[in-house]
Amino acid sequence: MRTRLSAVTAVIAVLLTACGGTPSTQPSASTGPKADIKVGLAISLTGAANIYGPSQQNGAKLAMDQINAAGGVDGAKIALVVEDDASARDQGITVFRKLINEDKVAAILGPTLSGVAAGAHPVAQQAGLPVIAISNTGVGIVGKCDYGACDWIFRASLGEETALPAALKAAKDKLNLKKVVLMFESDQKFAADGADIFKKAAADNGITIARTIPYKTADVDFSAFVTQAKGESPDAILASGLAGTASKVLVEVGKQFPQGLRVVGSNGFNSPAVITAAGAAAPNMIVGTAWNKASTDKTNADFVKAFKDKYGSDPDQFATQAYTAMVVLADAMKRSGNASDKAALKKALEGTKDLATPLGAFSFTPEHDVKQPVFVMTVKDGQFVPFN
Amino acid sequence: MAEQLYNAIFVGSIYALFAVGFALVFSVLDILNLAHPVVFMLGAFVALFFMSTFGLPAALAAVAAFAVTGMFGIFLDRVAFAPLRRRGAPPLSAMISSLGFAIVVIRLMELRYGPDLVSYPAGSLPQTVLQIGDARLDGLRLLIIGLAIVLMVGLTYVVRATQLGRDIRALAENPRAARLLGVDVDRAIAATFFISSGLGGVAGALLGFAYNAIYPQMGTPYELKAFTVMVVGGMGSLPGAVLGAYILGIGEIAALVFLPAELAELRDALAFGLLFLVLVIRPRGLLGHRVADRA
Amino acid sequence: MDALADFLRVYQTTVGVIGINALLALSVWLTLYAGQLTLGNAAFMAIGAYGSALLGMRMGVPFPLGLTLGALLAAALALPLGLAVFRLRGVYLAIATIGFGEVLRVVLLTVPFTGKALGLNGIPAITELWHIYLSLAVVAYVLWRVQGSTVGRAWAAIREDEIAAASQGIAIRRYKLAAFVAGAAIAAWAGGLSAHLNFSIEPGDFGFTRAVQILVFAVVGGTPSVAGPIVGATLLTALPEVLRPLKEYRDIFAGLILMGVIIYLPRGLVTLAELRKTRRLQEIGVADVA
Repeated sequence: MRTRLSAVTAVIAVLLTACGGTPSTQPSASTGPKADIKVGLAISLTGAANIYGPSQQNGAKLAMDQINAAGGVDGAKIALVVEDDASARDQGITVFRKLINEDKVAAILGPTLSGVAAGAHPVAQQAGLPVIAISNTGVGIVGKCDYGACDWIFRASLGEETALPAALKAAKDKLNLKKVVLMFESDQKFAADGADIFKKAAADNGITIARTIPYKTADVDFSAFVTQAKGESPDAILASGLAGTASKVLVEVGKQFPQGLRVVGSNGFNSPAVITAAGAAAPNMIVGTAWNKASTDKTNADFVKAFKDKYGSDPDQFATQAYTAMVVLADAMKRSGNASDKAALKKALEGTKDLATPLGAFSFTPEHDVKQPVFVMTVKDGQFVPFN
Repeated sequence: MAEQLYNAIFVGSIYALFAVGFALVFSVLDILNLAHPVVFMLGAFVALFFMSTFGLPAALAAVAAFAVTGMFGIFLDRVAFAPLRRRGAPPLSAMISSLGFAIVVIRLMELRYGPDLVSYPAGSLPQTVLQIGDARLDGLRLLIIGLAIVLMVGLTYVVRATQLGRDIRALAENPRAARLLGVDVDRAIAATFFISSGLGGVAGALLGFAYNAIYPQMGTPYELKAFTVMVVGGMGSLPGAVLGAYILGIGEIAALVFLPAELAELRDALAFGLLFLVLVIRPRGLLGHRVADRA
Repeated sequence: MDALADFLRVYQTTVGVIGINALLALSVWLTLYAGQLTLGNAAFMAIGAYGSALLGMRMGVPFPLGLTLGALLAAALALPLGLAVFRLRGVYLAIATIGFGEVLRVVLLTVPFTGKALGLNGIPAITELWHIYLSLAVVAYVLWRVQGSTVGRAWAAIREDEIAAASQGIAIRRYKLAAFVAGAAIAAWAGGLSAHLNFSIEPGDFGFTRAVQILVFAVVGGTPSVAGPIVGATLLTALPEVLRPLKEYRDIFAGLILMGVIIYLPRGLVTLAELRKTRRLQEIGVADVA
């Protein structure tokens, strides 16, 4: 047994050495006048959330290339260090630790999932490193966090707390909603978050939720749920779910309400793939979003064109938010005077005010949350268009 | 009400197609095939390939999905299970091997098709709606239910009344005796995997048609349901798996219709609580005819 | 030592999770050793995680006491469950225990005080690496001692042939229950440690995937000895980090490695040593292993 145990120890030691890799080497400054400024990008390129990670990577890289081509940050180039967290909290934490301790990055963008952020953000908070969340829309990411102070965390992604009430308000104003049914994906964290926000927003707007219908990711049939909703003769359906179930809800609504019924959806609905899958039923959707792709604002139009030129496809909201966060970060680095001074960078980030970005005029609130216009969208001819 | 019953039969049909293949491999070879959800997903993508590349109509594409995923099942066996059989490995190792296989295939599909939702070509799926009294019944679902029933009747015929079926059943009872009796064991195993995976693939294609949104990880959530169906019906029994599938399908919809709204979230707990009770009261399952005693 | 400190600064979570996974693998190894294939240990892990976290956060119960109470709670639930499923064997037992796990998961998703789908957030991160590795050392040592004792031999006898064991006067029900309950307690202890390792838990952390993963650790490592589950958990937990340079291809390699290991060593990694020994003996013509 003793020999076996020592064999185990040996195995552990070998593995640990293997994953330790070589100790970090300082970037050589010989290639340019100034050392590169490393920025960590911790995202889900694989695993359950790998729909979003690749978009985010494309968005952030485009921003980096544009910033570097325009002279970088006071002559220093930005170098993205991309790490995949496999949509898993434990890996997300390790990735944050690696970026902070081994790569010695100046700031981190990410992670993709709120569930991963719950474990990874505290690591950066403890180390005193600025983080910009680029896709977390849940509660408790900035401002008041469960794990204690989170003053090093910023958020560039519009929270559901802002987006859902805005969408519901717009729908109410136009359609005179009185009675609705709430459907939500009860085994998914953000969807459950969204359901709570919808409940509160409905109460604030004097809308009655006649029935709440929870469903699960693994449910095969959505017609039964929608039939049940139909029994309440609602003025609209509120739906909080991920993209996979969002299109199913829309498809069933299309079948059972041939005259049409509006579905006010959560962030999961905000995807071109959902529009395609929902087909003829897609125009029922109303969704509050951070971005209007069709906006003719020059910053946005330039971004959409550059993205298309580089990748051959349209950007989505995730790419746009990652791009924006990178732009915001570089702007703050320029203003801070010294990008490696973390406290100065944090202070500069806090001072971000009405910066022109594809999302519109961008500022941070005192809670470090994004302050930007909210776009309430619907679908027409297979494209998102403004609802009003 | 009629609509809800129709929905329940649709759900049951999908579960049945998915779980029967899973149960077949288990009852013949004692393998818990965790790659079965991958076959399900592949079926949906094979149908997509035939529809978008060759313009096949949906019903023919489902048949193509059956054939291609069936062949894939034989490949799966050769790669993941045959080497273990040769070594006389314990049944659990087959489960783990299939898990590794599933991880690889899902990732390859993500790299090829992207992880996001993919839809079938516009206009390729029938859109008829049948109006019977007050009830609006989706015509596509009728096609799905019909196809499922035809396939299951066909399976029953093959297993009960053909030489191949007799070989498969002999193999299930005792592989060594089957070989001594002159059964071509390799052929019977290949046939088992062909049928199992073919049915799983069709199930995936049909579910893909029903909602027109498929993605590489789409099979994973249904793994547990297949387990449930197989156990409730009885593990040695294919009719049992079909029965279990319809019980689960109807039970899920019934729970939705009859449970008060406040308890709606407990719907799944009811399903699995039922599973648990069936096991404790009747460990062989509803139609199981032998006591499984395998680790 | 500097190198080790640098290493731990980056990989402390990975190292901690390796230890926790080794504990979980041992918990399922114990029941496998007694001939029971259970997939319920993810649920017991959840009980330990939620139990200790809620006791600590809501009632200020100190960490060691919370861990202990979580483990006791799991054991107390495992006792009636073990009695109910006592007659089930093989895959039936596995699926009955999954049924239990799914019921528990749905309850966690439904009951307000467990935070529903949001889970529990802001759990104080007080688990230190030495807590984990001390627990692992103690559990591994105790199991190793038990393996060679009368109890261990009774378990092995039950696993090999339950009827023969009964005819030898072994109190089957008692021995099987003991393994089941002890396994549950170990899993719950590991769950408590993991809940306090990284701030946050949610019901999805303890579902079917986790249940299968725990079993895979034990079987890939090998069930003949206590070392097996530890080796299996270590290798498979470190693998994603080791394969990190492969970027988007790392899942493919992880899957291939899993298949390769189980196909070439179907009885587990720890049989590698024995295998090589037998081969050498064969080569020099000492043993006839056919």
